[in-house]
Amino acid sequence: MNLKEIEKKAYRFTFTDGIYDLTYATLLIMIALAPILRELIGLSYILFLVIPAPLLLLLGKRYISIPRIGLVKFNQHRKTTQKKLAIICIILIPLTVILLLLTAAEIFPGSYGTLLGVYTVPIGAALFAIALLSLIAYFIEFSHLYVYGLTIGLGILISELLHDPVASPWNSVIAFGIPGTLLFIYGIIELVRFIRTYPLPKEENSNVN
Amino acid sequence: MSTKEKKTMENRQPLDFVDKIIHEPARLNIMAFLYVIESADFLFLMRQTGLTFGNLSAHMSKLEDVGYIQIKKEFLGKKPHTMLSLTKKGRTAFEEYRKKMKQFFNDMPQ
Repeated sequence: MNLKEIEKKAYRFTFTDGIYDLTYATLLIMIALAPILRELIGLSYILFLVIPAPLLLLLGKRYISIPRIGLVKFNQHRKTTQKKLAIICIILIPLTVILLLLTAAEIFPGSYGTLLGVYTVPIGAALFAIALLSLIAYFIEFSHLYVYGLTIGLGILISELLHDPVASPWNSVIAFGIPGTLLFIYGIIELVRFIRTYPLPKEENSNVN
Repeated sequence: MSTKEKKTMENRQPLDFVDKIIHEPARLNIMAFLYVIESADFLFLMRQTGLTFGNLSAHMSKLEDVGYIQIKKEFLGKKPHTMLSLTKKGRTAFEEYRKKMKQFFNDMPQ
């Protein structure tokens, strides 16, 4: 009897609903649409980056996942890992945002003189995003996060590479919209499979006293 | 070991020392699962163990009767929710069971 494996199986089970894929896909789609939304509604476009994805996660877990598979609280080891992860995020996420803002504002003038210099900042940002999400993937043992890291990292690079041949906002739509849509379709398939496999339990079985 | 003790050991059934409450496969599954987590609700246990509502309910009653599990009422939003976890006694009993089973198989002649 492998107790570690039993715990891992239970932990992984909570990720099988496809809701994390849908959440991240929504975020990617919103990033893809950000330049268009900025043109249309001004600074309020930030609301579309911040609200839909977490809302989807919250509502999806609350109204789709938990009523079908129930609720579990993991042990101290997982809680410690989550605390470590929170510390990493508290340090690295603001740093990422600052780097992206500096990139957007073209604060690194020296790097724009050469062909290599043009791509230094996007490559740096891409590697940073991949590293950050891979680190989180490792800590929370959720392998999809490696893919999420790649989509955002490659998205930053492709968006920059397409900047000249494809005018803004279409470079962003292509770079983030395509992987976002593919991931969204995958999330929907996973969610449908999950709903079919785990239908809502009968009322008398769902709330045992 | 005295002669009397040796005789007693020889007359014992091989698995006499095992906690029969835990040894039953479905309950062993439940105990192992609850051992590795902090707590879970009834539905999560049903999904993980593959037991039916009636089956799980019956096993839980037995485990609760011997004081191996505890039932805690919580609120999920406005709805009452029942969370199940191992008691300290249950945790110790499970550890003891594992130890004894390991020993049993280690001592088994080749």
